[in-house]
This record gives sequence, structure tokens and C-alpha cells, in this order.
Amino acid sequence: MLKLQDKKSALERSVRVSVLFAVPILVGLLTHAVGLDRQQVISCSIFMVIIMATLLFWKFRLAIAFVGIGALMGSNVLSLPTFLRECKLDVILFLVGMMVTVGVLKELGLFTWIIQSVIGVPGMTGSRFVAITVVLGAFMACAVDEVTSIVFVATLIFQVCDTLKVRPVPFVIIAVMGTNVGSSGTMLGNPVGILIGQNSTPPLRFIDFLMWSFPIMLVTLAFTMGILMWWFRKDIALLSERLEARRQLGLGLGPLVQVPYRRGLAILVGMILFIASHHHLEARLGLAPNTVLIVAPLVIAGFLMMWRHERSRHYIEADVEWWTLLFFMMLFAVAGTLEETHVTEKVSDYFGHLFGDQPSLLAPVIIGVSAIGSAFVDNIVFAAVFLPVVDKLEQTPLVWALVQGTCLGGNITMIGSTANIVALGMLEKRYRTSIRFFEWLKIGAVVGAVTCLISWGGIALLSPYMPTVEQRRQQAGTHTAVQPAHEEDAKAGSIHIDEGAGADQTDLRSQPGR
Amino acid sequence: MAMQNNVDIKFSSLLRPSQIICQTEQTVRDALLLEILRLLAYERGIGNVDEAYEAVLAREKDVPTIVGPGIAMPHAKLEALDEIVVAVATSRNGIVYDSGQPDNLIKLIILTLAPKHAPGAYLQSVSCVAKICQDPTTAEVVSSLPTREKVWNFFDEGGVALPDHLRARDIMDPIEVKLLEHDTLERAIDLFVRHRLSELPVVDKDGDLIGVVSTHELLRVCLPEYILWMDDLTPIMNFEPFAEILRKESQTWLTEIMTDEYAIVRVDEPAVQVAKQITRERTNWAYVLQGKRLVGVVSLETFLSKILRE
Repeated sequence: MLKLQDKKSALERSVRVSVLFAVPILVGLLTHAVGLDRQQVISCSIFMVIIMATLLFWKFRLAIAFVGIGALMGSNVLSLPTFLRECKLDVILFLVGMMVTVGVLKELGLFTWIIQSVIGVPGMTGSRFVAITVVLGAFMACAVDEVTSIVFVATLIFQVCDTLKVRPVPFVIIAVMGTNVGSSGTMLGNPVGILIGQNSTPPLRFIDFLMWSFPIMLVTLAFTMGILMWWFRKDIALLSERLEARRQLGLGLGPLVQVPYRRGLAILVGMILFIASHHHLEARLGLAPNTVLIVAPLVIAGFLMMWRHERSRHYIEADVEWWTLLFFMMLFAVAGTLEETHVTEKVSDYFGHLFGDQPSLLAPVIIGVSAIGSAFVDNIVFAAVFLPVVDKLEQTPLVWALVQGTCLGGNITMIGSTANIVALGMLEKRYRTSIRFFEWLKIGAVVGAVTCLISWGGIALLSPYMPTVEQRRQQAGTHTAVQPAHEEDAKAGSIHIDEGAGADQTDLRSQPGR
Repeated sequence: MAMQNNVDIKFSSLLRPSQIICQTEQTVRDALLLEILRLLAYERGIGNVDEAYEAVLAREKDVPTIVGPGIAMPHAKLEALDEIVVAVATSRNGIVYDSGQPDNLIKLIILTLAPKHAPGAYLQSVSCVAKICQDPTTAEVVSSLPTREKVWNFFDEGGVALPDHLRARDIMDPIEVKLLEHDTLERAIDLFVRHRLSELPVVDKDGDLIGVVSTHELLRVCLPEYILWMDDLTPIMNFEPFAEILRKESQTWLTEIMTDEYAIVRVDEPAVQVAKQITRERTNWAYVLQGKRLVGVVSLETFLSKILRE
């Protein structure tokens, strides 16, 4: 019996290894056939190796990414300075600052207070619980990123489901989908947001997300909630029934204690205000765009570590997800290689050739492609690769289409976003149960399709009011013009500023929303 | 005969008529045990008799090995052996085997010596003899047989083979403390404290196991994960979450804290399944079921003691 199992797993491993190398080789041959040069073929193939590794050998993804970077450098496709520039240390440091701050907030009891506030709600019903879960997941994602949000919301769900003895799976799916939708609302919601915001040309501001993405998020969230409530109506009815029975016995959903939450809440609100005001501070101080945005979490984390110096090492070592961040760095560098070797330019030209330059046509294509791509590949990979393509098309609505597509596509499959994987891991660890791929896919496809359609409608509706790329360049350029020295700094790092535009591009930008 | 070759070995084949002392006049337990060991040393070769004698007595000192009315099964594990060796002694009048049970006169003594590297060998032997001696008058009947050959025939006609492996039933203990499904948290806490147990099974009216309540789970209910996140213990310094649980303990049904994650084994499953389930479920207890009915329990301590030391 054991031997049979060994043989089966050995066969499965061999198939996986074969696929890991066969697909990139196939991609290499295809790209060579369509006329890409040697460097482009190598960068495409190694990128595909890393993508396949994340799908087939999840635990080895970082190791394979390290080797992939080595292969790119060894084949002279990626140089060390390009690697250092493209691994987007600014995004990584931003995430480090956020993770440390969240670690401190957790210890200060802020999240305990939030969970207690929910389980202490009088007259709780199943529908009310689902509504709170969806909204809480979404808004916490907006404030402290999707992964942090789902960790806390899943804990709330486990507490309620354990107490009421109901199946947690539907409620985990509900929370994850609310969180993924909410993550498109702000720049902090998803690593994709900070990646796109910081690396699009010119960079997007925090306020841009609040103006153009947040309203769409609210509408998609409302529809998502409606769909989920209908889809899981039986489970919600059972929850209501159990809640009522428990209420009649005078029992709550868990112990409630007095939590000194005010310090944590003040820090969180202060951090969000600090980040939200980055554009004004940068303008006043004459700093390059998004300098304050990137530095704010680090500065706050620094102060918090000084305050709680005896725990500072713990915050850095335990609360920062170094494994994920290192993987992001490698992915960014590999994706940057595609840009460096002009592969993304070719894809962009192909898109332009195929769909013209009409945002009304391109926006749904970008949303659809990025949503489907993000459903099967980590959305940050997709964003990193697709951002240069979208940037080249020089139309503001398309950047928002990419934000929406990559965030909403995460709902389609159970591996679509980091939040899904984290929640599933928690579920598996606690209940030793897992969700079947198709159980998720059925509702995921419905929610994904509806939310993508809504976001397409939202972008179409808002695009006439969106600033053109040229207008954004001017906004970004007003406070960098007085400090030309920053231009060099920005080029050395990955903070992008106005690099000038050709006359033909100016023609395109004169249209609304471009 | 090595342990792994026990398939279809009849119990009587472990024994020769020459290894039987029939209707002994000896009345002192230790002297009789020494006599049996000397006989075995002569007949089968068991190494150093004094060492074997000390090992048998040491085991008796721990817990006397009386297994039924009038029957004792002394045993020991010896380095010198590589197979199970059995000897039998009968006493017409019976001997006082355990000073704590002077009325239980032992008339049938079955001495088992097993190789040191054979976990559970003794229990296999006990399991086998238990089948032969199901009748409570067995000791009386065997001790009345006048010759070695007739005693040997008794075991041979029993026809029972040494089991190939131990089963869960061979190592389980009976359930002494359990909770019923309609009990409250109050009763569970009382039993935990009174019996100093860390886990209690919960059964329904038919005796079917429906869950387990553990002190660990109770603690988890009092201190859920969201409270443990906090670094500052001030809000719970006076056990506030516990106070809330205590206030409602008489209204809280066991199902609130009952878990369905526990180790179970079927009564006829190999005893090694107990080890597997205890390890897999990361617990200290495995519950033994017949159908759905709870019939016994094996603690990790019992398992280690019975398999590795007996």
C-alpha cells in the first residue's frame, strides 16, 4: 500500500517537474518563433519557470525565484544595477513598515477590541453577521492590507462558528471575498495597490485611489454582499437559528473584556492621515512624488519600535513576512527584466494593434485579462508584468482597470490572492478541512464576473472625469520641478517622475481620461 | 520462535508437558516461582536463573499479576531469550499469591518469559490464555488434573492460537469517568477537578461516544485567540473571562466546549493503531469503540507501560 503511494507521489512529482520545464521551453520556442530576440526569449522563459513554480511547487517558489534571478544574471539578461532598481525596495520597505505597525497594533489590543465589538453586537442575526464580516473585511483591508484583514476577520469567524457549532467554510469564503473586493479601495488595501500606485508613470497618489477606486469598490462590495447572502442563504439561516437559541439562554459569543484600545486606534488613524496627506506634505517639502507615502509607515514603525524597544526585535523578526517580501522582490526583478528587454513594450504594441486606443474597448480587456490571470497566478505577479504594458498605453482609466482586475480576479479561484491562501491555511490548520477547488470556483466565478462588470461600468462612468496622464504628470512635476536633484534619486530608485513624452503621445492624452 | 513468526502458532506449542509442574505441594509463592524458573532453565535454557527470578519478582512487586479467579500470570522480559517461553504450575489447595488478597487462592500459575525486544509479547500471551480460561472455574478444573499430559491436553484442546498481534481490546482500560450529553459545563469542571483528569469522553443515552471535553479546550474558550493577541494582561488580570464562564457554567451545555477531534480505535483493530491515532491527533488518549459505543480507553501512559514494559 505504502509502496503504491510512494510510486504515485513519485510519478506526480515527475509530471510536475516535466511541466515546470516543458511550459517555459514551449514559451521560449513560441517567443522565438514570433521574432523575439535571445534576451527576450530567456527573460520570458525564466519568468514562466517562476510562474509555474508558484503553481506547481508552492513551497519552493522562493528558492526557484533565487535560482531564476541567478540564471537571468548568468545569461547577461539582467544586470546587478537593473536588479537593484527593479526589485522595488520602496514597495518592500513600505510593506515592512506596515507589517511592523500592524504587529504593534495587535499587541495594543486594537484588533481584540474590533472583534469584541462585533461579537458584542446586540440582536445579532446571520445576515447582520455576514454584512459586518464583509464590511469589516473590506474596510480593514483598506486600512491595513488584505492579508492582515483576513487574519483578524477569520479569527472572528472561527470564534463565532466554534461557539455556534456551524460550518466555518461559507463564512470564510464570504470574508475572503469581501476582503479582496475591499482591497481595491485604497493604496494600502493590497500590495498590488502600492505597486501600481508607486510604479505607474506618473505615480498615483493616495487621494487618487480614494477618488477613482474607492467609490467603485463600495458599489462592487454591495453587490458582492448581496450575491454572497443569496448564495449562502441556508448557512446564514442556520447561523441565525443558532444565534437566536443562544440568545434565549442569555449566552454571548465569547468572553468580553475591557480593552484599552484608544492608543492603538489613535496610531492607526494617525498613520492613515499621515499617509493620506502625503501629497500635500511632499508638495510643501518639495519632495519627489510618494516619498512621504513610502516613508510614513517606516517612520511610524520606527517611533513605535523606540516606544516598545524591548519588543522591537520581535516585531522585525516575527511580524514581518520576510519570505513573502523576498519573493516579491525576486518577482519584481524578473518582471522588470521583461520591461528591460522590451517584452512588455511588444505586448503593449500588440494590445494597441488589436484593440486600438479606445479606453472603452481596452478597459474591459485589461480588467478581464488581469482578472483571469490573477485568478491563477499571484495577482502581484500579474500587476508587475502588466503595469509596463498598461503604462505604455498612456491612458489613466487603464491603470484603474488593472487595479480593479488584479484585485477582483483574486476572488475567482481559491489561489487567486494571498488573502485566500492565508485564510485557507488558517482553516486547514484549525479544522483540518479544506475547500474544494470547484466549490470555490462556482461562487468565485459569479462574484468575479459581476464585480468585474461593475468595475468596468464604474471606470467607464468615471473616466471622463479622470485626469489625463499629462495632467497627472503636471501635478507630479509641480513640486519636483523646484528640486531637480530628486530626479536623479528617483531614477536610481524606482520612484518614477516625468520623463517627458513624445508629440504623438500628447495627441492621445488630449482626450478625456487619458 | 521469534515474535514475527507467531501466525497460527497454537498456545500449547509454547509449552511442553515437561514444562508443567502438576499439583505442587509448594505453598510459598516465591519458592514456587523459583522452582518453575529452574525447570524452564533445564528444559529450554533461559540464561541466568537468578536474573530471571529477580525480574519476575520485581514485576510482581509493582502489581501482582492475578488475572482471574485462581489464576496468576507472572512474567518478565529477558535479554537472553529470542522467543516466548511458557511454564505452568498447578496447586490442588491453592497458594496465597498476594498478601493483599489472602482469600484469592491461586491454583493455576502460567509463567511467561518473553524476549526483551518483543513489545507486547506478554499481553499477547494473556490475550490467548484469557480465551482458554473464559470459564471462571478454569483454575479449579486444571488444578484437578492429575498429570502433566492431561494439563497439556487441556491447553491443546482449547485450540487457541497465539494472536498474531495485540488488539486495542487487549490494552484498553475500562471507562471510569464520563460525561453525558445533557451534562453542563459545571459538572465537567467538577469532574476535572475531582479526578484530576485532563480529558473526559461525552456519551449519549445509548453509550455512543459523541465528543470529548478537555481542560485545554475549556481554557481556549476562556481565553480565545483574540484575547491572547494582547500584550497587556491588565484587562484579564483578575481572570475576567473565567468569571464570565463561571457565571454561566450551570447554563452552558457541554456541546459548547466539546470537540470532535479525538483519537478513536475500533476494539478489534491492532493495538499499534492506538499509537498511530494518539500520535496523529496529538493527544494523550485513544477511545476504544465497539460500533459507536464507547467500551474503553487507552492512555499514552498505559500504552507505554503495557507495550514497552509488560
